[in-house]
Amino acid sequence: MIEAQALSKRYGTKTAVDAVSFTAQPGKVTGFLGPNGAGKSTTMRMIVGLDNPSGGRATVNGVPYAKHKAPLRELGALLDAKAVHPKRSAYTHLRALAATHGIPNSRVREVIELAGLGPVARKRVGGFSLGMGQRLGIASALLGDPSTVILDEPVNGLDPEGVQWVRRLAKSLAAEGRTVFLSSHLMSEMALTADHLIVIGRGRIIADAPVQSIIDGQGAARVRVRADRPQDLLGSLAADGVSAQILEPELLEITGVEPRRVAEAAVRNGVLVYELTPIQLSLEDAYLQLTSQEVEYQSHSLTPSGLLAASTEGHRA
Amino acid sequence: MTTSATTAPASPDPRPHPRHESESGVSFGRALKSEWIKITSVPSTVILIIITTVVMIGLAALLAWQTALSLNVEGDPEMTAKMQGQADAATALGVPGAGLVFGQLLIASLAVVLIASEWGTGMIRSTMVVVPRRSLALLAKQSVMAGISFVVGAGSALVAYFVVQPILNTADLGFALSDNGALLHIVNTGLVLALISVFAMSIGTLIRNTAVGVVTSIGVLLVLPILFTVFGIGTEWVAELGRFLPSSGGDQMVATSISEGAFTQWQGALILGGWSLLLLATSLVVTNKRDV
Repeated sequence: MIEAQALSKRYGTKTAVDAVSFTAQPGKVTGFLGPNGAGKSTTMRMIVGLDNPSGGRATVNGVPYAKHKAPLRELGALLDAKAVHPKRSAYTHLRALAATHGIPNSRVREVIELAGLGPVARKRVGGFSLGMGQRLGIASALLGDPSTVILDEPVNGLDPEGVQWVRRLAKSLAAEGRTVFLSSHLMSEMALTADHLIVIGRGRIIADAPVQSIIDGQGAARVRVRADRPQDLLGSLAADGVSAQILEPELLEITGVEPRRVAEAAVRNGVLVYELTPIQLSLEDAYLQLTSQEVEYQSHSLTPSGLLAASTEGHRA
Repeated sequence: MTTSATTAPASPDPRPHPRHESESGVSFGRALKSEWIKITSVPSTVILIIITTVVMIGLAALLAWQTALSLNVEGDPEMTAKMQGQADAATALGVPGAGLVFGQLLIASLAVVLIASEWGTGMIRSTMVVVPRRSLALLAKQSVMAGISFVVGAGSALVAYFVVQPILNTADLGFALSDNGALLHIVNTGLVLALISVFAMSIGTLIRNTAVGVVTSIGVLLVLPILFTVFGIGTEWVAELGRFLPSSGGDQMVATSISEGAFTQWQGALILGGWSLLLLATSLVVTNKRDV
């Protein structure tokens, strides 16, 4: 279990993490989702004590990570696949980490097999691909058979098979009753893996809820309706929080109302409805809505005129 | 995919969830073992340690040969006897540790590289996650490198002692280990290297950059004493201050004769040891405060 209480990190005047509080529960995959630069990695580094918080505190199983007698038994972390000396082999790297806790070499070989690194275990890490580096990082996170696992962007650089493997691994670790805390900037990844989502933007938590309720919460019930007399239908639906868009003469998108109420209104007014589709928001949409105000590096859409302006400026320069 | 490296990894840890608290805490001994594995598993480090040892022995042999040669070159036995009187036993006693000047530069560079490269490669994040008590992690690394440095220094001086005896004997300058000051010189050659290692590794810990760290520690150990000598010629207080440099302390530790008013071996040890401990303490305090 990981608990953060009003955890903050400031660099000079810039606040990277702003009084963040959350809990990652055992038996669940908790996704930590946010745009680049939102403070995900900084938060994770504070949990394992690499960064000292400017305020607040983080505990692992009730105690600050560094205070544990056998920290690797409590928490294993993949924070950075490149946290390895390139001239060492995967096997010696893991053996050096294991030695600090008296973890036997048999366990080292076990995690090497578990991560599928067997054939390259004796090769220098410097020659590893990004994906193999990630596997080595995951192997080192599992070394101490910890009750809590932190994985920062674990699918980065993995091939599709590797991505699937990480998904299955995260879920099965959680199924064994462990706490799995997983960061990503990919919403699609989270939709498949996480049970619970913590969304962070500009150092602040903007959502902390089960995956489904985040999708629902942002959805505010949208319904697509084809009807022969849309104006009559809208007239009887008019209420607070209900808005509609007429896309085609007989096609409407109504926000803020359940499909059943639309059908009832149609029956009352004798309006012919020939399509009534609840629109479910994807996690992607929900995420974008949540973070639209919180993105640090926003890409601006290039309208044709924008493109033109940019290219002419380029010519002048 | 060309290898099976990325195919079909087994399902995650099949074992139930054992808690083995009793057998599995971090301890200083275990941190030492980890650092030993780290140092001995990088080939270039091992090669550099071997080279340092060989060069130190070689330099001692070279000095012994040159000392003996300069005495033997005079065919006149009377002259030789006279010169032997001048080239007192102290010169010969100091031969085993003659490679120290060179050895300390290699050891200082290696000590900086060992810690600064952890930041350079990112390995430090792995190190500090498995041993989150940063002082413990740093002290383990310092101890392993200081131990290796002592063995390199004292070991090469001891081997050099046996290598140079036949050479020195040709000029009748041979001496026994039991001779006054002989063993102290050999042990102190190791101690100087150990203290230099702590000194340089602390600088590397503070600077976190290999190139800058190496230049800084070599500058302090090699360039600073030269500057103090040059500017100390006309200025009394500069010369006085120069006696308190870490390198001056090291020189006195391995001196086989102490001139009038100079620091003794033990006072030299206090000076170099003081600098090393001061930097070590500073590096621990600063590392605990800073982010990794």
